[in-house]
Amino acid sequence: MTDATVTPEVRAERLRAGLKRRYAREGRFRLYGLLAIGVAVGFLLLLLGRIIEQGHTAFYTHTVTVPVYMDPARVDRAYPQGTNFELLVAEQQLARMGVADDAQGLKAAAMRGLFSSELKFAAAARIQANPNLIGQTVPIAAPASDDADLYFKGEISLDTPADQRRLSDEQIGWLDRMKTSGLVAAHFNSGLFTRGDSTEPELAGVLGAVVGSALMLLVTAFIAIPLGVGAALYLEEFAPRGRITDLIEVNINNLAAVPSIIYGLLGLALFINWMHLPRASPLVGGLVLALMALPTIIIATRSSLKAVPPSIREAALAMGASKTQTVFHHTLPLAMPGVMTGAIISMAHALGETAPLLLIGMVSFIPGIPHGLGEPTGALPSLVYIWENASERAFHERTAAAILVLLAFMIVMNAAAIFLRRRFERRW
Amino acid sequence: MKFNLFRAPDGVEGGAPAETPLMAAPPVVHSSGPVGPTKIAARDVSVFYSGKQALHDVSLDIPDKTVTALIGPSGCGKSTFLRTMNRMNDTIPGCKVTGRIEMDGEDINAKSVDPVLLRARVGMVFQKPNPFPKTIYENVAYGPRIHGLATSRAELDVVVEASLKRAGLWEEVADRLHSPGTGLSGGQQQRLVIARAIAVEPEVILMDEPCSALDPIATAKIEELIDELRERYCIVIVTHSMAQAARVSQRTAFFHMGRLIETGDTEDIFTNPRERRTLDYITGRFG
Repeated sequence: MTDATVTPEVRAERLRAGLKRRYAREGRFRLYGLLAIGVAVGFLLLLLGRIIEQGHTAFYTHTVTVPVYMDPARVDRAYPQGTNFELLVAEQQLARMGVADDAQGLKAAAMRGLFSSELKFAAAARIQANPNLIGQTVPIAAPASDDADLYFKGEISLDTPADQRRLSDEQIGWLDRMKTSGLVAAHFNSGLFTRGDSTEPELAGVLGAVVGSALMLLVTAFIAIPLGVGAALYLEEFAPRGRITDLIEVNINNLAAVPSIIYGLLGLALFINWMHLPRASPLVGGLVLALMALPTIIIATRSSLKAVPPSIREAALAMGASKTQTVFHHTLPLAMPGVMTGAIISMAHALGETAPLLLIGMVSFIPGIPHGLGEPTGALPSLVYIWENASERAFHERTAAAILVLLAFMIVMNAAAIFLRRRFERRW
Repeated sequence: MKFNLFRAPDGVEGGAPAETPLMAAPPVVHSSGPVGPTKIAARDVSVFYSGKQALHDVSLDIPDKTVTALIGPSGCGKSTFLRTMNRMNDTIPGCKVTGRIEMDGEDINAKSVDPVLLRARVGMVFQKPNPFPKTIYENVAYGPRIHGLATSRAELDVVVEASLKRAGLWEEVADRLHSPGTGLSGGQQQRLVIARAIAVEPEVILMDEPCSALDPIATAKIEELIDELRERYCIVIVTHSMAQAARVSQRTAFFHMGRLIETGDTEDIFTNPRERRTLDYITGRFG
């Protein structure tokens, strides 16, 4: 037995050794934590950096200003929109540069390709506003075509063989000449924020999608937050505990995990096919997203209601407050920060959700900007999806720009919600 | 008054304090009459939590303008009994109360009695100070406000000031009525909670171990306050401290294992307990 007795010296030695091991373990654990955070932040920065790198060029664009002789023989005074301004401008520009057109007019066509189709509308608008301009030379400003814009941004390189790029050597020569003669100006691409979608990249903007997303989120918030908070309040504070309540709880938890595309199908069947609400409208989109956000809001609200100390409920009840007074005077206000957090998270999810929108027609090409809940509209995530699939190269940078706008939208929304939550928390 | 003529006080020989034959015996009721007229009369009150009986046939008269202390070891049912008097047990799912509790001769469990109104007449102070996370003013004003007792700001101001003064807190908080009540010290919070309870002018104040979370100085202040409040209210206090029961109460009821064992004047109970278990408990032999 004496062999098994531990002397104080051995005990101290063992304690020291054990201590060293414990500290080493803690050090390792901290290192893992730092590594995990480092990897996460690294990927995030990589992602953001890549998007910004791709997208930043979409935020500026080039405009070409050309003097146009409003030839009375060709400009239609009564219906200026009917005039082929593009050809007119191209021919005049070729003449100014001293280039003779060939018999088929191929050079004029090539020159036309350097201007956006917006040129026609700009010129027609000038004439319509002031028909006396016919017979005069008027400077008309229009965006450069998407290919010309890409060339000015350095995205089309002369090193690429001519048959593999969108601009011929001749067109590039013309662009260089126009630039040196001061016809080309680079500026902030305000059109990106003031226009709806377009098949022409240089004319495509995110405004329609932003307005659509905002309207949709309004619908979602107005439906999902009161319904979700109300349901959670009832389930948590009023409903009798029992099999039915348990069943409802399990189902709500399951609904939170249902793939969002299923909600899209439900929305299609329920709101469009059965209730005949307008397709692709913010109303239907908002309703579908509200269905999707409901379980999340209910779960978050219930858990924050559960976290309110029972002593506060007891205090209110013992003061003679009714159940409803207890809930609305004490429990809900105390749970409000948690409720708001749940609402913010589910709204952010709803903003970025694409799959259900596919099924209710929101990924179709919708150039307009919606003015009401019943008009067809796009949404930011579906715009990203559409632009990403577009064949024009100029849409690539715009896709990244749309993602940045989506992220900015989300940040603004979350910041507003966090600000509101702070206000709630400070209020006693 | 019931007399217990069946059992003489036990000897002090050893043995388990809770012997089975004693369990079903009726409580010992000391002879001296109540200090005030009976405010609450409990008859054969039993409480079940999900079918499990926590309180067995308790019959107890609680006099008005008197402090009645409920003592006994943990889990003896004294808090449960306290909570039957303002029907706080109603809020616990699966809790069933049988028997009859009369306040001024009226059955408080009757269908015609609204628990909300009952709780306006029977205030309660809990073990842990639980002020609302609102201002001191709002805490005290809450009761009068929800019961519609004060209709104007001026009336409310008067009630708040009077309640805080009666709770002995006015001088300490008069200059910060609109700062949070949760920022006060534990003892101040407990007095704030008492002020909140008396702001609705209840008839009865139930206190569930009001000093167990407080230091001795704060405890002394609360005990002093309880003694002052006795002039106006019927007070029932649950306490784990024998000394506190002896200091603040005029009547004492000793509970053990869900039964009322002995009740009577505090002095009698403490100087001349007739039940062995009472003696063992107050002398610290168990509990």
